Amino acid sequence: MSHMINPLATPEQLYQRRSFSALPTELQDAIFFSTQCLTQAAGLLLQLPQSVTAQANVLLARYWLIEPMVSHEFSDISAASVYLTAKLSPYPRSPRDLALVYNYLLSPSSTFFQPSVSASDDSPPPPPPPPTNIPNDYYLPEHVYNSFQTRLLHCESRILYALSFDTHVSLPHPLAITYLQALDFLNTSKSTISKRTLAYLNTALLSPQMLYLTSQPNALAVAAIYNAAKDVGAKMPECEWWEVFDVDREELGFLVVGMRSVEGWGRKMREDVERMKAESESGKRGGMITRRDIEGELRRRGLSVGNGYGGNTGVGSEEVVDMEADMARRMDEKMAEIEGSAS
Amino acid sequence: MTGKGKSRWADSAEDAALEAQLKKEKEEKKRLKAEKARKAEAEKKKREAEAAAAQRQHQQQQTGDDDHVNGPPAKRRRLSPDRDAAPPQAAPTTASSNDSSKLLRFEGGRFGKCRSVENYDKLNDIEEGAYGWVARAREIETGKVVALKRLKIDPKDRSGLPVTGLREIQILKDCSHRNIVQLKEVVVSDDTSKIENIFIVLEFLEHDLKSILEDMPEPFLASEVKTLLLQLCSGIAYLHSHYILHRDLKTSNLLLNNRGQLKIADFGMARYVPDPPPPKLTQLVVTLWYRAPELLLGAARYGPEIDMWSVGCIFGELLTREPLLQGKNEVDELTKIFELCGLPTDESWPGFRRLPNARSLRLPSSSTKPAPQTTTTTLIRAKFPLLTTAGVSLLSSLLSLNPSKRPTASDMLEHEYFRQDPKPKQEAMFPTFPSKAGQEKRRRRETPNAPQRGQKADGSMGQVDFSSLVGGIFGAGREREERGGGFSLRMV
Repeated sequence: MSHMINPLATPEQLYQRRSFSALPTELQDAIFFSTQCLTQAAGLLLQLPQSVTAQANVLLARYWLIEPMVSHEFSDISAASVYLTAKLSPYPRSPRDLALVYNYLLSPSSTFFQPSVSASDDSPPPPPPPPTNIPNDYYLPEHVYNSFQTRLLHCESRILYALSFDTHVSLPHPLAITYLQALDFLNTSKSTISKRTLAYLNTALLSPQMLYLTSQPNALAVAAIYNAAKDVGAKMPECEWWEVFDVDREELGFLVVGMRSVEGWGRKMREDVERMKAESESGKRGGMITRRDIEGELRRRGLSVGNGYGGNTGVGSEEVVDMEADMARRMDEKMAEIEGSAS
Repeated sequence: MTGKGKSRWADSAEDAALEAQLKKEKEEKKRLKAEKARKAEAEKKKREAEAAAAQRQHQQQQTGDDDHVNGPPAKRRRLSPDRDAAPPQAAPTTASSNDSSKLLRFEGGRFGKCRSVENYDKLNDIEEGAYGWVARAREIETGKVVALKRLKIDPKDRSGLPVTGLREIQILKDCSHRNIVQLKEVVVSDDTSKIENIFIVLEFLEHDLKSILEDMPEPFLASEVKTLLLQLCSGIAYLHSHYILHRDLKTSNLLLNNRGQLKIADFGMARYVPDPPPPKLTQLVVTLWYRAPELLLGAARYGPEIDMWSVGCIFGELLTREPLLQGKNEVDELTKIFELCGLPTDESWPGFRRLPNARSLRLPSSSTKPAPQTTTTTLIRAKFPLLTTAGVSLLSSLLSLNPSKRPTASDMLEHEYFRQDPKPKQEAMFPTFPSKAGQEKRRRRETPNAPQRGQKADGSMGQVDFSSLVGGIFGAGREREERGGGFSLRMV
């Protein structure tokens, strides 16, 4: 049975997240969304199957319900979650693979989260001009690699600790296919409806509503099928067919709306991130949002930036360590910059 | 199922009839409820539960009848009456909420931070081996005795926490079987700024089979051997049916409690392996004495058969109290295997010559060989004169050189051997032994350890000449084969 169920977030954990840090909710959502997108992008470049990357997404989401978002750099936590899931899967990737991929994704040469030209209207944006490819941008000097690896391993053990070493993730994707078979693919094209269903499931990974932490895989699968069927205009059974798959109407309704809203929400958050990047001093760097961007944004909003910006986190001693880590990180970055400009 | 489209879900005449019937029932129930409402609050609750149960029964009966008329239903039937049909004022009553169909609710648990190891009081060390340190401890809160196993972490290893340890935790968390040791939780030391000390909390069992075998003056009775093997086998059947290979089965990894219950432990080598197995798995698995010939010959593609070979070795060890095949190195191990089981031939094991290390074997030409299958059986019979014919056939099938000839764990559970007299002894009737783990520090074992990661998987074994074996083994085998399944006074 364990391959069909996931540990879920408790209401306290979901509530706690909102009060965890001084970060406004929409900033948390923006961070969540862009980090999950980064994780997906890294999974693609590392040629990992989606089953592995999706598990990394889920572990990352669980981790952020336990520990404050700002305690580590977002991209580091993303890398560690990919590293950890790949390590346990049949497709392990070396720390160097991860360093190269993340170094590239965070560089201005990658297309990741680069501002698109027309972010307005719902006309499909023209393909953004390919960013000028400057190999120097993502050259990986040995010391940068070493410090990345140190942070990677630290984050890895941090994630495991926060999750009690429970890395079990059941994905709804295989269930969705089984359910579609049981429904005879609703008498439509098998590939069309299957692809649409999986697209909904993959998009749901990015939702700041954390659908994968609040619903079991069977419910996610049914909601994705429902949405896909609506989209392709397939005729669903007229009875309450979701009950056959042990999903009640209320949960289905919630998930259907949740899954449908990710797209618009994501677009808005992407604009937010791009705006923040443009306003912050590190705007010239890559498209991924960093802790420094968040810091700058908070300052612009006139919110105090406390130590580790966790005004009322109350994690005590851990914060001190984080400040040290933070300092070390900044020194690393400074060094990298100096050496980068020297070379 | 195809082609029906709408009709499959549309209401048929039977459904309409059923609906009408349910509606009638509902009205009847409403009337009953009105009566009940006059009664005391406490009684009301009880009665409603009764009514609901009765109704559920009724519905079940009806669906049963329905099935009878329609033949087997295509899918699970909806047990709930149509809600639209129910009059709205009936909705808020408790009974009507009982009407809604019963959905399975999955309880997946929750996630959260590790607890601290300080929740446990250390009692004594059990073992300090190549894989780390194991201690007996007591949970302070509950007083329960557990085994604490420390995950060995090499601080110089720049790939982070060892994948073997993580796999062990993941697999044990996923497993739930009476013959597999239970993982309670994972705890860390108090200083959480750096996660360096990781302890796995396992249920505590008094013994391991290895030390019992070493210390017992008389071997296990035939009935006891059967009980142990059956338990081992049902644990392995569970693992294999969940796509888990243990890859380090040996007597020191089999734990036994004082109630005769055997549990498989130490999943440091285990991993999930899909079926068919992936093309490249490490050959550096399984302690040498229990390692299957295909691994020794360098096969990178292997499956659950390697565990079954180890079961064969354990079977032999249970009978004699001595490890069956104590090779000094890979070559020696292979020699011992061929001594016991005969040499492989192209007929008995097609394709073995294509395995990487088989090229360096020099086997006698095929003309001089006796028929292979009888050879293994007769050799095994000669080695275990007291074993019954069924026992010999089981053991020799487990020790088939050709992996595909070995029985699967679930095949083995059905084997004749376990049905014959003497019957497997009841677990509760098992003898007890003084517990070393509970009392004193255990001495280090002489068993070689499972291969370690990073050790060289050296394919080449040099030139190995087995042609000299032929005369010797077969001579000896022939000499003794007449004795057959023997007779023992102590077979209870």
